[in-house]
Amino acid sequence: MHLFLLGVSHRTAPVELRERLDFSSRDVGAAVEALCARTGAAETVVLSTCNRSEMYVASEDVAQTKQELVRFLAEYHQLPADQFVPHLFAREDDQVAHHLFRVAAGLDSLVVGEPQVLGQVKDAFGVASERRCAGPFLNKLFTSSFAVGKRVRTETALGEGAVSVSFAAVQLARKIFGKLAGRRVLVIGAGEMGKLTAQHLRTQGVGDIVITGRTQARAVEIAVAVDGRAVPWSELLPALGNADIVITATGSQLPIITKANVAAVMDRREPLFIIDIAIPRDVEPGAGDIEQVFLYNVDDLQTIVQENLSRRSAEIQRAEEIVAEEVGRFMAWRRSRTVVPTVVALRQQFDTIRRAELQRLDSKLSGLDADTRARVDEITRLIVEKLLLEPTEQLKALPDEETQVAYADAVRRLFGLRADDGAPVTAREAGAAKRPSTEDPR
Amino acid sequence: MNAIPLAIYLVAAALYAVHFARRDAGVGRAATTVLVAGAFVHTFVIGMQTMEVWNAAFASASRAASTFAWLLALSYLYTELTTEERAMGVFILPIIVVLQVISTVAPSGTQPNPLLDSPWFWVHMLSLLFAYASFALAGVLGLTYVLQFKEIKKKSLGFFYTRLPSLQVLDVMNARTVTVGWILLTVGVVVGVIWATQAQAASPLDPQAQAFSIGDPKILVTMLTWVVYSFALVARRTMGWSGRKAAWLSAAGFAIVMLSFLPINYLVTTSHSF
Repeated sequence: MHLFLLGVSHRTAPVELRERLDFSSRDVGAAVEALCARTGAAETVVLSTCNRSEMYVASEDVAQTKQELVRFLAEYHQLPADQFVPHLFAREDDQVAHHLFRVAAGLDSLVVGEPQVLGQVKDAFGVASERRCAGPFLNKLFTSSFAVGKRVRTETALGEGAVSVSFAAVQLARKIFGKLAGRRVLVIGAGEMGKLTAQHLRTQGVGDIVITGRTQARAVEIAVAVDGRAVPWSELLPALGNADIVITATGSQLPIITKANVAAVMDRREPLFIIDIAIPRDVEPGAGDIEQVFLYNVDDLQTIVQENLSRRSAEIQRAEEIVAEEVGRFMAWRRSRTVVPTVVALRQQFDTIRRAELQRLDSKLSGLDADTRARVDEITRLIVEKLLLEPTEQLKALPDEETQVAYADAVRRLFGLRADDGAPVTAREAGAAKRPSTEDPR
Repeated sequence: MNAIPLAIYLVAAALYAVHFARRDAGVGRAATTVLVAGAFVHTFVIGMQTMEVWNAAFASASRAASTFAWLLALSYLYTELTTEERAMGVFILPIIVVLQVISTVAPSGTQPNPLLDSPWFWVHMLSLLFAYASFALAGVLGLTYVLQFKEIKKKSLGFFYTRLPSLQVLDVMNARTVTVGWILLTVGVVVGVIWATQAQAASPLDPQAQAFSIGDPKILVTMLTWVVYSFALVARRTMGWSGRKAAWLSAAGFAIVMLSFLPINYLVTTSHSF
């Protein structure tokens, strides 16, 4: 059984093409089901976000699967293959694990370390799993990727610090006020930046959002968008006195809030956080000298964003190390799967012998009471398990697939293992993994 | 016997420091676990000492320091478990360790002083030590508030910014610990005055009892402490002294507490040394 990945991402394809090949805008569940049905692949998962459309499959014949996947893409998206084939990238086996783990960790994202992608990977697997398109191989691959994402987040600072100006502002607000629930926000000016920041604050659960601007109509428009209320421009100073967080972004050439304005409203106990994202600035810089006033302008926020970005890139190395480590672990698991059918057959054979012997001795054991008989059964079972424990572990720990096949073959011959249909077990090994294994020996 | 909790506290202090520097949640949990174990063992040690000589739990400087450390550990653990903020541990544990070192090296007076054989003494000492533990917490909260305030104000978001709880949380916790500390301090002082009056009336010939007066340096410093914290409370309510000013006040208040506890206790007090 091989792992195979085919897809496009922001690294290989322009946005126009990614849009054409996107699964997420339509029903991903339907897509993964269609893929499952139309190709010979045993297991399939479709990961589709705005930056990537990737098909993960486990199959026997990689070359054939690849052709089928290309054909599927062309048919499903109704796009001639020659338009997208040059932009496709493909991975096999451990490279698939390496790629998915990097994606889940946020290492392959446009903004390195962004946390949403892990949720998207989880959703993609969930959808495939619900429709029974993912089997044991992709199950292990994806659950491992969740673990990688979690490890990278907890063990490195890859996802830390805001990397956009508006998020940096929200983060600062939380550092000053703690929970933002009930905090009052004043938005001055009716630009996009102010609106965006107000929206971020809204999702943080702030209380009243008041918007004021020189053009009342535009202020009302934003008020509707962020679930706030607009007040006339003349109400600016009273509104300032009532606010905890002020976002100001007007096109005014002169400061609209002076140090004296701010000082006049600071006879209160709570701090005032002013985010001045206007150029030229709306608030006299001196206002920041007032005790309990925190004044940040757009340059300050951009500096924070730059620092956070460079801090993130300093963490990339550590995150890559975690990915490499987990790929190694996954590959060890995958290797151990090669011997699973042999191990299962061996255990079945031993157990059959055990039962036969107990059956044979049944007349002699019939004099014993039920309790003792149960114990005899238990003891024989434990002996068989103990005898098999070491060889099982040794088989699973073999370093490469070739050696494992050779050892499995030897075991099969030594113990005369045959499958039900008379074929030697090893010939069916690869196929056996396709069925969800009911008995998974330790 | 005080060395055993001291050793455990040292381990906890190291773990809290590692947790603070590396922000490793696992190490943080380990630090809390070790501190809980330390406080538990310490409880046992103090219990044993109290059984040994009935009122000896705080009847010497050594035992008072040990009880102080123990109460501080308990108060800190309470704060940590209720707020789920571990960042303060790195500041509190050194104080606990220093107090425990004092209690380990200082001679533990085993001669019970008949003057201290009074239920008033228990209330007096326990409430004062608990008040000091609260002030220690408030002082640390104030200090961390100032450190983080500086970073945010100067727009250099760095070491403390990424590790400490928000300014608001620090300020609210500071207000709470100061209030609790002030109530206990008031109780301790009032009980002390009543008890001293009684003791003076009961043993008119004991020079130590007769020496209790406002002029005693230790009593003077305690009164100063009370004035500082009373002012902190009043200022917060009426003058809007929250945030940085409140933080500075509580840090200064705790410096006075340490002054009353350490050098004055050993060097200059006349009546109040037992």
